[in-house]
Amino acid sequence: MPHIDVELERLKTKLLEMWDLVEYQLQSGREAMLNADQELAKLIVKRDKKVNQYDLKIDRMCENFFALFTPVAVDLRMVLAVLKINANLERIGDTAEGIARFVQKLDSPVDSQLLELTQVLPMYEEALAMFAECRVAFISNDPKLAKALIKRDKMLNKIYRKSDAVATKFMQENPNKISEALAILSIIKKLERVGDQVTNIAEEIIFYREAKFVKHKQDKKKKKD
Amino acid sequence: MGKKTKLEAIDLDAYYGDFHALKSINIAMEEKAVTAFIGPSGCGKSTFLRTFNRMNDYIEGFRTEGQILIDNKDIYQKDVRVDELRKNVGMVFQKPNPFPKSIYENVVYGLKIQGVKKKSVLEEAAETSLRRAALWDEVKDKLHKSALALSGGQQQRLCIARALAISPSVLLMDEPASALDPISTAKVEELIYELKNDYTIVIVTHNMQQAGRVSDYTAFFYMGELVEFNKTKTMFTSPKDERTQNYITGRFG
Ligand SMILES: Nc1ncnc2c1ncn2[C@@H]1O[C@H](COP(=O)(O)OP(=O)(O)OP(=O)(O)O)[C@@H](O)[C@H]1O
Ligand SMILES: [Mg+2]
Repeated sequence: MPHIDVELERLKTKLLEMWDLVEYQLQSGREAMLNADQELAKLIVKRDKKVNQYDLKIDRMCENFFALFTPVAVDLRMVLAVLKINANLERIGDTAEGIARFVQKLDSPVDSQLLELTQVLPMYEEALAMFAECRVAFISNDPKLAKALIKRDKMLNKIYRKSDAVATKFMQENPNKISEALAILSIIKKLERVGDQVTNIAEEIIFYREAKFVKHKQDKKKKKD
Repeated sequence: MGKKTKLEAIDLDAYYGDFHALKSINIAMEEKAVTAFIGPSGCGKSTFLRTFNRMNDYIEGFRTEGQILIDNKDIYQKDVRVDELRKNVGMVFQKPNPFPKSIYENVVYGLKIQGVKKKSVLEEAAETSLRRAALWDEVKDKLHKSALALSGGQQQRLCIARALAISPSVLLMDEPASALDPISTAKVEELIYELKNDYTIVIVTHNMQQAGRVSDYTAFFYMGELVEFNKTKTMFTSPKDERTQNYITGRFG
């Protein structure tokens, strides 16, 4: 294997380790939320420091790679993609930490009716599934899979858009559970962000594989809508 | 867009005896732009470069088919005078090759051959060319010292000054910085950047970063074929041909 490929592999491996950690953080967030598990929530907050360390480490590895290998073409796109995916993973890590902080505001397991109405669980499942699928798209260099992910983000947005009204209604009917409902609403907002961040990562995978910027095309579409 | 084509090859084939060195090359190079030729050793870069000032004519058994146009004129037509052509097309080689004469004599050499005798004209041309080649300040006090006493980087800029003195409109450079240290290389690159305001420049280089830094367009050659020709930015970010990609990322063979 050429020297440059060895370095690129190292970079990818490091990114995938971070990816695993962030996935674990998100999954733990879901557990903590379901059981109002304060201990677990605390642990998630603490572990976010580790995510940040990965972020710094990968940034530094990319910087070194630029300086020492002056990559071009597909190599250049790969490192640029790693840099941006890294930034997005770090933010998803922050999101998981944010979820944990809202869990810390719950003093008992979440009302089952509230869970049902807001659809926060299927939303969480979908966000987790998208995140895992995105990792597969990255490993298998699969722009098709990445494109499919961008479409899937719609489901999260749909639940998010309805959540305000649903939660408001619930709070009116259950004035004693307002803080609980607010916490769930905030978590829903966070999950909507995860969808956006997964979309960003998917766009980077497409850019790396196909040398195409997807972002601007999408922006144009959004304007038409 | 809408820019003028300065150099052009149309269905160009070139042979060294039986050896088919260039295979139906078609390319149009823009005026006052820098075009870089890249490709593995032996792919035909120098051969192609030299067709633009007919330097290959001296090589026994060399012949071309097809056309080479400069300003839309076929330079292999019978009525073309090669000495006139070379006035218009200057060349700089890989190894600095100053004559064993003074710095001044080196620069005005071409003009003297052309019959220019007036001292004031020669002196002015020497100063202008040395300034253009970013060498004037370093040599103005020793113009009559031997050119061989200059450093390699200075010698290369002297050769560029010598090429510029005959006021060409095209400058061909065959690996002009490959024997130079990073500082001299940077100076030559800076110079190329300056010169493209007035000259059409073609540079052969094995240094990918150099091609990226100095050229507007890049042509990739492989085994006598022109594989890909595009804006340098495109070539180094998203080349279309896999062979180009493998070459520029150092994964050839
Ligand atoms: N005078 C010659 N006689 C016969 N064959 C020649 C002659 N000059 C070059 N060739 C052949 O033509 C081919 C192209 O040579 P050329 O010098 O143009 O390559 P190049 O791309 O400039 O390589 P390099 O990067 O090593 O300078 C090579 O296979 C070479 O062997
Ligand atoms: Mg050569």
